[in-house]
Amino acid sequence: MTGNGADAKPVLLTEGLGKRYGGLVANQDVGISLTAGEMRGLIGPNGAGKTTLVNLITGIARPDAGRVVLDGRDITGLEPHVVAGHGLVRSFQMARVFANLTSIENLMIPFFASGAKGGTATALSRARELLRLSTLEAMADALAGSLSGGQRMLLQACAGFMIPSLRVYVLDEPFAGINPVVKDTLIDLILHENRERGITFLIVSHEMEIIRRMCPRVTVMIGGSVAAEGTLDEVAQREDVITAYLGRTAA
Amino acid sequence: MIFSTELLIQTLISGLMVGILYALMALGITFIYSIVKTINWAMGEFYMIGSYIQYAAVHLLLGPNYWWLAVIISTAGTFIAGYLLEPILFKPMYDRPMQRRDDYATVVTIALLLLLRSLAVALGGPNQYRPESTLPMVWLGPLPQEGARVAASVCALLALGIFWVVLRTTWVGLALRATAQNRVAAQTSGVDVFRLDSVAFAIGVALAGLAGALLAPLFMVYPTNGAVTTVKGFEIIVIGGLGSIPGALIGGILLGLVESLGTSFISSPYQNVYGFVLVIAVLLLRPNGLFGEKGREA
Repeated sequence: MTGNGADAKPVLLTEGLGKRYGGLVANQDVGISLTAGEMRGLIGPNGAGKTTLVNLITGIARPDAGRVVLDGRDITGLEPHVVAGHGLVRSFQMARVFANLTSIENLMIPFFASGAKGGTATALSRARELLRLSTLEAMADALAGSLSGGQRMLLQACAGFMIPSLRVYVLDEPFAGINPVVKDTLIDLILHENRERGITFLIVSHEMEIIRRMCPRVTVMIGGSVAAEGTLDEVAQREDVITAYLGRTAA
Repeated sequence: MIFSTELLIQTLISGLMVGILYALMALGITFIYSIVKTINWAMGEFYMIGSYIQYAAVHLLLGPNYWWLAVIISTAGTFIAGYLLEPILFKPMYDRPMQRRDDYATVVTIALLLLLRSLAVALGGPNQYRPESTLPMVWLGPLPQEGARVAASVCALLALGIFWVVLRTTWVGLALRATAQNRVAAQTSGVDVFRLDSVAFAIGVALAGLAGALLAPLFMVYPTNGAVTTVKGFEIIVIGGLGSIPGALIGGILLGLVESLGTSFISSPYQNVYGFVLVIAVLLLRPNGLFGEKGREA
């Protein structure tokens, strides 16, 4: 963490977020706080409520309790496109690209939809730069449906970067099921955008090695609530975290 | 029935011309479905609205020479009606669970159908009207064609061209294509899908309104004149495949040709039956329609 205390106002903050699906408590009293430019990992065993939290933050689902604050603005319960317009964007675990549109067209959509200033020329040069960074230049005019799984993940990530007002990018399992080369390209792309534009990241992942490399701090969720926060090595020492990951140890 | 090359050519031409107009209706249905993911059962009533506006504009306002201006007014009028009605009709649907939305849309659009028909009766009575047309016969080689019919199919072709250009080259077109493919992804990209719903619904019903306006001098203007065209529209959807734009165009032309050939060479009173034979044949060979995708989202 950089130690500038006066500048530590959170860019994204949740307070007391709760969500039930029938009898299942998916999230309970979840509070997290990200500072501008931070790379935060979000880990936890399957069913810990990570994706629910992502859905609540980005407007895909409405919380039953609590609030989400982006840059001091309460965005709780707003529609996803409004949330995206305010600069809070997400990616999906299964890459949601527009298969019947070309890669370039896929990138044009978030640019224009966010009501960005500047014309097609700006959008095109930005799109080409992102495609170059993700080694997809050759696929610029290919239909997104013809890309490999990993390439789709890259394209989906690039789509979020096309939104000029982007402040916080929530990536839900961005590295799941893609090959090591594409993984490295994606990591470089994320680090590049973090460095150049100061974008804040919340990265949900099971890939502990990548999280260790990228995220100075991680938040651990267990059973729908935040169980621990700190460096990966710190939280990995904790009894409750070990128990949740490995099952109950003999008493 | 005497077979002649001339009759065959004339039959094919008139089948093609009416097919293009059928395609307009089907395109409207399929286009609304591809974005809003519901079927608008009141499609024929927007056809009816288009025909009434056309009649009123020609008869009371502009005169038959300005029929083309009346067509533009009718299309714009149904577009605006659709744009204003869509949020009232469909916005509440999204508060309901996924599996209830179809039922909701069905009930709401059927209610709209009844409302609009009753409104037409209240305003104009059960009478039939016909906007005057002064367009002369058109001779295609040695073959005469009604002027209004030729004008209707040329205008319909023009409208299809405009539709294609808007969809392919404009930002709204790109957003519409994206939303048709993946609504959630479009929304998380920042696309206001609810506004696009209204735009798509308005475009879809405007296509029906345009068909109504163009066919008013040929098929008359009365409260239930949209019923037959709606049925044809849905026949085409089954033939071409729900949600497929090429399916709507090719299905429309196919239906026009089959009806026309059947009428000329088999028997004319059965005009509306040939389409159903085509539907059954397609269902036997390709149950999802010619261009349909497998299954459908709930």
